[in-house]
Amino acid sequence: MIVEYESKSSAVHRLDPRVKFAWMLAAIVISVMWTHPVYLILLGLTVVGFGLLAGFPWSKIRGVLSFMIIVTAIITLVQGATYVPKTVTLDEPARVLFHLIPGWIPGVGPACSIKVGGFLYGIGMALKVVTVLVVVAIFGYTTSPSEIVQIIARVPFIPYQVGFVMSTAWKFVPVVQMQMRTLMDAHRSKGVDFEQGTFAEKIKKTSGIVLPLFANSLSMADTMALAMESRAFGSSRKFTFIRPYQMDRFDWVVLIGSLGAMVACIALLAVFKLGAL
Amino acid sequence: MASDIISLKDVTFNYKGSNRRALDGISLNVKQGECVAILGPTGAGKSTLACVINGTVPRFMDGNLAGEVTVDGLVPAKVGTAQMASRVGLVFGDPDTQLFGMTVEEDVAFGPANLGLDYESIMERVDKSIADMRLAGLERRAPHRLSGGQKQATAIAGVYAMLPKIMVLDEPTSMLDPEGKARVFGIVRMLKEQLGVTVVLIEQEVDDIFGLADQVFVMRSGKFVLHGVPREVFGRVEELRQAGVRVPQIVEFGTLIGAAETPFSIEEAVSAVGRARDAGPGPSPSPTSAPTPTSTSTNEAAAQTAARATACLREACRIAQADPVVEAVDVEFTYPSGARALDGVNLAIDRGDLVAIVGQNGAGKTTLTRHFNGLLRPSSGDIRVLGRSAQGVHTIELCRHVGYVFQNPDEQLFCTSVQEELRFGPTNIGADPGATSQRVEEILADIGLTKYREVWPKYLTKGERQRLALASVVAMDPDVLIVDEPTTGLDWVESLQILDYLERLRSEHRKTIVIITHDMNIVSLYARRVVVMAGGRVVGDGTPREIFSQPDLMELACLRRPPIADLSQALWGEVLLTPADAAAKLLASRPTNSGVCSK
Repeated sequence: MIVEYESKSSAVHRLDPRVKFAWMLAAIVISVMWTHPVYLILLGLTVVGFGLLAGFPWSKIRGVLSFMIIVTAIITLVQGATYVPKTVTLDEPARVLFHLIPGWIPGVGPACSIKVGGFLYGIGMALKVVTVLVVVAIFGYTTSPSEIVQIIARVPFIPYQVGFVMSTAWKFVPVVQMQMRTLMDAHRSKGVDFEQGTFAEKIKKTSGIVLPLFANSLSMADTMALAMESRAFGSSRKFTFIRPYQMDRFDWVVLIGSLGAMVACIALLAVFKLGAL
Repeated sequence: MASDIISLKDVTFNYKGSNRRALDGISLNVKQGECVAILGPTGAGKSTLACVINGTVPRFMDGNLAGEVTVDGLVPAKVGTAQMASRVGLVFGDPDTQLFGMTVEEDVAFGPANLGLDYESIMERVDKSIADMRLAGLERRAPHRLSGGQKQATAIAGVYAMLPKIMVLDEPTSMLDPEGKARVFGIVRMLKEQLGVTVVLIEQEVDDIFGLADQVFVMRSGKFVLHGVPREVFGRVEELRQAGVRVPQIVEFGTLIGAAETPFSIEEAVSAVGRARDAGPGPSPSPTSAPTPTSTSTNEAAAQTAARATACLREACRIAQADPVVEAVDVEFTYPSGARALDGVNLAIDRGDLVAIVGQNGAGKTTLTRHFNGLLRPSSGDIRVLGRSAQGVHTIELCRHVGYVFQNPDEQLFCTSVQEELRFGPTNIGADPGATSQRVEEILADIGLTKYREVWPKYLTKGERQRLALASVVAMDPDVLIVDEPTTGLDWVESLQILDYLERLRSEHRKTIVIITHDMNIVSLYARRVVVMAGGRVVGDGTPREIFSQPDLMELACLRRPPIADLSQALWGEVLLTPADAAAKLLASRPTNSGVCSK
């Protein structure tokens, strides 16, 4: 996950995990279907509102967002320069908005024209990517791995053990990361400089961590498996979740709101082309 | 008369692919409600025995099991996981590998939920377990945010929630600080006395077992070599030593003063001393007692104590003239998460000293020492190594002077042979290959691993791996050696081997040794100076006797001094560190048969 789960008591944290999943699904479907930047901005604002309600730590995705803004800016310019979409809202999608190489540069300008249609389409693409990223981050921040197990376990034909193993693997990631840091510190303490050397030398130094990391992880996994076995893991087909689903009014409001919005958006897009560029 | 709830008859077990018998003719009978302690060195087969009792051997770990095993009327190898798991709970030493929930409550519910019980039954069990294990108020806390003792209590609660009749605890205190250990022993006492659970306790902490266990078994090489009630077993001092088990300090003291009846508690020891005084001059020195590997009698112990005092004085004078090798000056450190770990630490460590840094988990011990070789840099303040500021000096440069040995040997052994491991560090820092080869040979002999030079370190025992990890840093010839928890998970003999090696490095090669430890017996025997940390600060600094003489300080840092310190305080109003010191003091207080007089 982009942002690790944090146990809090915000309204979003308290939501039933199925409702949070439905919200995430609806937001992703709508963002994929809509292409018009204005509509996508409206969706984005809704997502931000949801994040604020959850007390989402925006600073933790600052780095990812900065990177995504650079990537999406490139997408926007490339789309603007190379693509003219068929639109329902624009009269002249091929109209040139500006040139990347302006006319005042003698000899080469004006060149690389950015068309309105492609530019708006690119902005829409960028907004979609950022929206999906934020939606997934909010879901991960507000939904514990065990709640995710509950969601997976309720998918027909999938045994709960599968969901549990997935969530355990997820919880294992920070443990492995910590072990990797310790291994690197132990290497540094024995005179290994990871920053120095050619690319091949750096790869060789880093590979020294892989074997002990792998061996230690296996050994830890073995002990965990023994501990799980000793607590009857997998002994019964049934697993009782200690947070039984109890949908309250707010859960229903969010669930109906999310799924209703998704259905409405699909219908309005199909009939009236609302949300389409 | 209670019936046997655990019955093992002539049980042998070989792990798949191994010719060695992990269990070799084990017979064991435990009555319902009893607490049985199993002692022994690492590799004796204790954990294998625990797994046989709950059936994970051979169901989960392949091998050949022979003999008769009956637990609560069932044959563990023949019944399902669920049936055994709800009869026998197994708790391991490392709590981190046995906590699966996102919260304490979820974790405790994990076992009952696996049994497919209904929600109400699960919550009833969870609430009771949490209350019984004194975890109330922590239900919604994430396990990784608990202290070591709380984590282990959660692991025990998780097993207890399955309502087992038997709890098998496999070295449950091995990774805990003194406060955590006290909490776990308190829980074991409650399981036995208030909840009527049958307890099989595998432990190294002999001083705590006496009042807990109804029976004690000592294992070595897959066999029981001693068995009986605690008084019987702990009274057989020489056999305990031969089995590689530490003798409880009070018992050792009783043996040294030649007490007619071996004392097992401080009160009994005080009475024994009284009787010895009344009996007239000269306690009979015991020919078999040996507080350290070399002393064999009270007179010798007294002579050794005197010699050690003289040597200490001489050494202290020498150290007094030396410059500090590492210093922390007003050091503060805050982790990126915002946790403040060091809060204005000032500390100077002199060349040739052996310093123990003690304190509760999270007191800042590891954070502080990681500053000395540049793995961490202070948020403010300065670190000085060999008189120069370490600011801007790369770890690669600092590690030539300050060696750091991590707590877990498996996190610092990277090579495919013992010999390569020893060459790894010196090669990285550009040491002369010829000199390195010679040094590697010397070190291999020093740590007793010459015959394993070509062996993959993973195949060594934990004690051997710990010695190798230490030696791999010694091979770089640093001035200062920082060793984080050198005895965690080791038995007493292995612990002494490690500390003896460190002491040799100090006395023969004038290395400065800094150990981080929770083991106050080790502190008593080896430390020349103790630095006590609490809440990111140095709150105490002095010799072990000075530190152990300050009850308020001990309480503040959640430390527990060794029983002999309590006894000597009760007898003479002063703290002594070892049974030999206490015996010598008693001997010195009056004329003896051999003519050793008090000064």
